[in-house]
Amino acid sequence: MLRRDFFKQAALIAGSAAVGSTTADADTTTHPVDNRKVADIAFPQKRPLITYSDRPPLLETPREVFTNPITPNDLFFVRWHMPMIPTYINPHYFSIKIDGEVEKPVKITVDSLKHDFEPVEITSVLQCGGNGRSAFHPTPGGIQWGSGAMGCAKWKGVRLNDVLAKAGLKKNASWIKFHGLEKPVYTKTDGFVRALELEKLHDKIIIAYEMNGEALPYLNGFPVRLILPGFYSDSWVKMLSNITVTDTKPKLHFMDHAYRVPDNECECETSDNLVPKTKPIEEMNVNSLIGYPTSGIQVKQGAKLIIRGVAFDGGHGIAKVEISTDGGTSWQEATLDDGTQGSYAYRSFRHTLMPKQAGTLSIMTRATNTKGETQPFAEDVKWNHGGYKYNGIDEVTVEVVS
Amino acid sequence: MRKWILIAVITAALITLLDAEENKAEIQKGIKMPYMAFPMKKGEGMYSTKGKCNMCHSWGYILNQGAQSKAFWRKKVIKMIDIFQAPIKNEDINEVVEYLYKNYGNGKEN
Ligand code: HEC
Repeated sequence: MLRRDFFKQAALIAGSAAVGSTTADADTTTHPVDNRKVADIAFPQKRPLITYSDRPPLLETPREVFTNPITPNDLFFVRWHMPMIPTYINPHYFSIKIDGEVEKPVKITVDSLKHDFEPVEITSVLQCGGNGRSAFHPTPGGIQWGSGAMGCAKWKGVRLNDVLAKAGLKKNASWIKFHGLEKPVYTKTDGFVRALELEKLHDKIIIAYEMNGEALPYLNGFPVRLILPGFYSDSWVKMLSNITVTDTKPKLHFMDHAYRVPDNECECETSDNLVPKTKPIEEMNVNSLIGYPTSGIQVKQGAKLIIRGVAFDGGHGIAKVEISTDGGTSWQEATLDDGTQGSYAYRSFRHTLMPKQAGTLSIMTRATNTKGETQPFAEDVKWNHGGYKYNGIDEVTVEVVS
Repeated sequence: MRKWILIAVITAALITLLDAEENKAEIQKGIKMPYMAFPMKKGEGMYSTKGKCNMCHSWGYILNQGAQSKAFWRKKVIKMIDIFQAPIKNEDINEVVEYLYKNYGNGKEN
């Protein structure tokens, strides 16, 4: 279908919904808000980033960083849920407490993680489930992120399975709760606690103490955090301090109400008819982002323009990235990097253009994974009440000057 | 020529070492979080709203939502009470919603 037809269809749907509906506007999706300015204050161990809040810190990475298959630590996005975050941790005393349905409760220090377990490394994308949420209308609950609530780093740590084996799981163990050191101000507010079903554990889930060859920055979870390659970052608990094994599914606000999508094929619903049955967001959708050029810049007519960006999915691997300069009618394949970072990491791409005509030039990217899953046009992404899992085709617009 | 290269290499190595030391020192000392002002628009109900909505997070959370309808702001205030146990009395909800809508509204009731 041509893009023009999409607009036509969207207009039809918008028209029909307005008639019998109580909401003033029909549900629509656009591109996420782009080009927000970075703040003039830098947070500790960070360069200035797009800053939505200082308490708790919410920092977004600007688009131009996404030319790089690794996101530098000082440019990596930051997202906490609770405002009370320790600003000092002595790594020699810090420990992770493991208790609940285990043979012997243990406390494991960072030193012990580094010396008593086999170290493992994995390069993986860390992306907020709400990345791109500002694309959804009407506005879903949550932080209205642009496209930069994501990054890709090389994580080093130990297997969660190895750590659990140290405590020994009892036969009735079925869920594992994770708790970090962030705390609400008001004691009645539920803390940020997450849980994983035992049967979903695998050997790529690690407790990391290093990010891109350095200790984790404080704001990214120093001294240790959970890494779940392929999954959105809602369970990548930072400053991980407690692991509690339970025999039944624990009741938790941040599991039962947040980070869930409709439990249907399209994972979609409408604002005036919410789907009651929901499921966790879990595996990441295939996605890609243009790092260069950024919207609004000027480029020279007839000169080489090298488009660069990154693509990723939930771990199946990227098969191709395509570029369109005619609004999505025709597509050309971009060149991918050698893929040595592995299938959970960013795959960087590049594509050379020679803009022939002066004026406005639109550039779109679309990634396809090895399962054949691909990105929809931004306006075809279906709405959900939490604004999760956005993966619309990216678009930047530049000015070609003669 | 070779001497310069050698000096350059040593300097580079020193800088990397210093960087690593600095990183370690920062971790051991802890961090100091900056304060950022997210100014509230002046108007009726500002002070009472400030007391109620800045307790658990910065005002940046509200600004980040953009201009919204009155129903949106009402739902948001109720979400804070129901889900996060915000200590806001029923009779105070209207004042907060009015302030939010007047200053961060999109002109639509719904
Ligand atoms: C008792 C603590 C508390 C109080 C008081 C409070 N909030 Fe919140 N608020 C939260 C928590 C917890 C979150 C979720 C934090 C997160 O996920 O980052 C949140 C999130 C938000 C968000 C983000 C969007 C969303 O849907 O989650 C907005 C907007 C917001 N609050 C507005 C308000 C307003 C307006 C008030 C004043 C009426 C208020 N809050 C008072 C605890 C509180």
